[in-house]
Amino acid sequence: MMPTARIRRIALLSGWLLVSLISLLPILGIVVGLWPAEHITFADIEAFLGYQGLSASVFMTLFSALFSTLISLYIAFMVYSQYHLNRRLQSFEKYLAPLLSLPHLAIALGLVFLFSDGSVFFVDSGLPRKGLSTLIIAIVIKEVPFFLLIFSAIGRQLPIKYWLLQGQALGYQEYRCWWFLVFPALLKQSRLALLAATAYTLSVVDVSLLVGPNIPELFAVSVYRWQTSFGVGEQALAFWANVLLLILLAVSVLILYGHEKLAHAGCKALATKGSRFYIGSINPVFKAWLPMLALLTAMMVLVFALWSFGFNWHSDSFAFTQLTTRLWQDEWLFFALPLQNSLLIGLFSGLLGVAFALLALELQRQKGKYWPDYYWLLAIILPQLSMVLGWQILHIWSQGGYHSGWIVLSHLPFTFAYAYLVLKGPFQSVEPRYELLAASFGYSPWQSWWQVRFRLLLPAIFTAFAIAFSVSIAQYIPTLMLGAGRVTTITTEAVAIGSGSQQDLIALYVLLQSILPFMAFFVAALLARRFRGSMGRQDARNY
Amino acid sequence: MTSRLFRSLSNIFSVCFVLVSVATANANPEFKRITTIEENSAQWQHTLKAAKGQSVYFYAWGGSKAVNDYIRWATREIAQQYRVKLIHVKVTDPSEPVSRLKAENGRTSAIDLMWVNGENFAYLKQQKFLLGNLWSTIPNTAFLAVDSLPITVDFGEPMDGFEVPWGIGQFNLIAENGVFQESQVSAKSLLNIAKKNPNTVTYPRPPEFHGTTFLKQLLVNLTDADLRLYQSATQQAQDALLPVLWQYLDQLHPYLWQQGKAFPSSAAEQLLLYQQKTLSMAVSFNPNQWLKEKSTQQISESSLRRYFTDGAITNSHNLAIPKSAPSTDAAKVVINFMLSEKAQQEKFTGVWGDPSVITSLFDETATMPAHPELHSSWHVLIEDAWQQQYGG
Amino acid sequence: MLEIINCQIEAKTWRITLPDIDVKKGELLVITGPSGIGKSTLLHWLLGNIPQHVAIKGQIMLSGINITHLAIEQRRVGLLMQDVYLFPHLNVQDNICFALPKNPQRSSKKQRRAAAMNMLEQINLAHLGTRYPQNLSGGERSRVGLIRALANQPQVMLLDEPFAALDPRTREQMGAWAFQQLTEQNIPSVMVSHDVEDIPASAKRLCLADYYQASEQK
Repeated sequence: MMPTARIRRIALLSGWLLVSLISLLPILGIVVGLWPAEHITFADIEAFLGYQGLSASVFMTLFSALFSTLISLYIAFMVYSQYHLNRRLQSFEKYLAPLLSLPHLAIALGLVFLFSDGSVFFVDSGLPRKGLSTLIIAIVIKEVPFFLLIFSAIGRQLPIKYWLLQGQALGYQEYRCWWFLVFPALLKQSRLALLAATAYTLSVVDVSLLVGPNIPELFAVSVYRWQTSFGVGEQALAFWANVLLLILLAVSVLILYGHEKLAHAGCKALATKGSRFYIGSINPVFKAWLPMLALLTAMMVLVFALWSFGFNWHSDSFAFTQLTTRLWQDEWLFFALPLQNSLLIGLFSGLLGVAFALLALELQRQKGKYWPDYYWLLAIILPQLSMVLGWQILHIWSQGGYHSGWIVLSHLPFTFAYAYLVLKGPFQSVEPRYELLAASFGYSPWQSWWQVRFRLLLPAIFTAFAIAFSVSIAQYIPTLMLGAGRVTTITTEAVAIGSGSQQDLIALYVLLQSILPFMAFFVAALLARRFRGSMGRQDARNY
Repeated sequence: MTSRLFRSLSNIFSVCFVLVSVATANANPEFKRITTIEENSAQWQHTLKAAKGQSVYFYAWGGSKAVNDYIRWATREIAQQYRVKLIHVKVTDPSEPVSRLKAENGRTSAIDLMWVNGENFAYLKQQKFLLGNLWSTIPNTAFLAVDSLPITVDFGEPMDGFEVPWGIGQFNLIAENGVFQESQVSAKSLLNIAKKNPNTVTYPRPPEFHGTTFLKQLLVNLTDADLRLYQSATQQAQDALLPVLWQYLDQLHPYLWQQGKAFPSSAAEQLLLYQQKTLSMAVSFNPNQWLKEKSTQQISESSLRRYFTDGAITNSHNLAIPKSAPSTDAAKVVINFMLSEKAQQEKFTGVWGDPSVITSLFDETATMPAHPELHSSWHVLIEDAWQQQYGG
Repeated sequence: MLEIINCQIEAKTWRITLPDIDVKKGELLVITGPSGIGKSTLLHWLLGNIPQHVAIKGQIMLSGINITHLAIEQRRVGLLMQDVYLFPHLNVQDNICFALPKNPQRSSKKQRRAAAMNMLEQINLAHLGTRYPQNLSGGERSRVGLIRALANQPQVMLLDEPFAALDPRTREQMGAWAFQQLTEQNIPSVMVSHDVEDIPASAKRLCLADYYQASEQK
């Protein structure tokens, strides 16, 4: 075997090894974490199933997860269809940055701050303070920009403009072309993002506690409660609840796949029916979505900022002149270090996550076979608390000490999963002939990979990094369980503060939590525009 | 019975209860008179010396700025006096350190000192996760006001030296003066207030600790402090006493916030709603929280403290050291400091307002009339039954 | 000079056995045949891009060296496809730069860019230098594509229906111009084409259908 071929083989093998390790961590974690410490019997299932309100709770949870995800998907698609080809609005990605930086809980808190009685902006939105609809809205507000970002990354690689031209030439209105021609392609490539969003909503605890219904509680909250109480029999309930949670996750995966098939079939049927008559377009409304969301987010940020500067509008005695930076000054000593930790951990785990995602994609491409999507996303599909508990047990067992390296490692499965889901679509859409050409020019496989494929993927890579970075910033449970207080991040501080009732402090820490992701998304959007991708800018002069 | 007569009877009762529970606890000479080492003993000097330079990772709730600021103050003092580094690990849920200890399973722990609440203490003690003999090896435990306060038993479980009381919790309501005009509240008066001011009264959803305690207060009031509540719950007792509570709640719920279809998830969230003037009452275990919140303009000027006519259910919140903690000496030094007059004074008069547990600072007038905790078996029963009745 | 020896294309149900072919410097070989018979596949095999669905056996000799088992990047073979595939993230000048072979004399970016611009000037396309591929017309794109391929100084040029997407007039112009360039630079070329009109009279022809054999094997 020639030396270069041997090096190549070793490189490939080690690549596979690394990637397997990262993707197996979630499974390892969940197995160790769910392993019952006490004796669990099947008799406990009876106790579990007899829990009052279980079926309603499960149904509500499943419904809220799937409904919020799908509705976000459709809204995002309709918004995307408005913005994609409009040159002036093409830079909408920049505006996504603030929308994406606020963590989910912050959005829910923002809704609470804005729309509660006594608020300066009080508008009776008709939403219950705690209810399923409020929860779904809070989730949708964050998910729509997320899907938009994904569509942006995917759409860059697809010849959408040509499809539309083709369809219109055949006599279909533009928006119908969007549905028949573009939607199926986008849907297929957003599969992973859908999975991630559904898994998140299914297991979200903090947002559910704040704005979700609690008669009955959402299932994830019940699971969390059982898992964190140590009374007699509670741990057995927790075990079976986790089993049910896993089943629910599997069911949602199946439902999403089913939805995809249905949607494809539906679009195909409608397309082949050939009807060309005019249907009233609802699209102009969606042009307003993004500005509306942006306005809402801006208001939330404003409210948080005002509170952090001492604007307490519930106080009986308040004047604008009382605004002060005292809280910021007081707390500066205490959030400087966590902020720094968050930044460094985010950078490392984000970069590594993107690197491993690219590695995993490339290895699969070389092999020619792509593993099932949900395998790579296990970290975000499996119940986080149990999985990280498993890691915690292994970490304690290994007596490895508590430094940031372990935290980076614990964030890695998550950053990897999100980077993978952002990159998969664009990666697969890269025209392989470019690399063929580069080879014909004498570039070795390594060189052509870097100079052609990597280069073409740069915008998507920037997006993937921004998302991975923000995911790392937002991680609470891994940091807490593996850092044991030695490593504090801005999120561990923010979550602890959030469990109290001091509104100004909560507002302050929410803003701090959002600063880093905001910078990441903003920079990524700027860089993505500067470095052209596979299709570059859609210019009217094409063909 | 007039309320004053009942108050004094209740006080006597509390003291008797304490004595009874003390007597029925394992006959242990330590409890009759706290015998512990002296400050200037060789053993303590050794502990002090070993503690110098050590770090103490203190797992304590981090949601309250008042508590955080107090701990920051303590950190500075302890660093100065003892050269021990106290590090506050902000915990969101009291179960976090417990899960960690369970996962560690005896290995060297990441936790040196933890703030324990009643629900978890029994488990921790049973699993033998805690370091014992704290009372006999920490000098300042001699000053604990065991005669005046029920602080040797945590939620029905005798402390037995496995944890040390840090402060007192007394269940009270923080309420709008205009709505809750009487200083005391009974089940009946609460119902009337709820009827007059619908949609402004509520309680945290059980099994949250404050929520369950609220229900316990109601139960005590409705059953006239039936003696069976302070003993292990029998099936008969349940069948006799609990339905009274459910009948009451059936009447109350329609006038509650969200008509009882949703509840605040925690006491903190209820306080948030109260601050936003959505609710007319909030619940608390800190008897002075209302004062401190008012002084920082967190709540309205017309807020006052209210408590149930039978007396405020009283318990202590405590500190414990895991058996496998790496810096047990330093942790003991920290506890010693926390029990010192200076620290207890600052805790009470400073931003936090948590009542003191030592005799020299024990102020009967600052606390509300106390009512003993129910037997711990009732706690779980009430939670489970509430879930059955209203939780689904 | 390019030599193809003992070439056989084998599929499940048919086989094509080719005679030994040689293409001298400056010569053009045109491969014709019905659609789907494997013209492009053969071309890609010459490039080094092993086809998946058929098996091709044989030897390729380039200037006396057997390149049959060499990797694509080692063969010095140029390729021009119907969709020109100019790199979209690079402008025209940089596209050509990319193809320039590593030369110790011209190793700095500035020098390479100057060389690329030089090449563009020689064919009067200097004004396209800073444009991006999306902003070129079909004809311009084809021209730049060929120049880029030639910039690499290949030993043989492969053309896969390079002008099929152009309108007839431009196609004629492009064809003539391309062959002129190839002849001038003395590069043996192999072209796949559908259109008989494209082929200059001086070219050798190879119709794959002539060598087609249905095989009885399973």
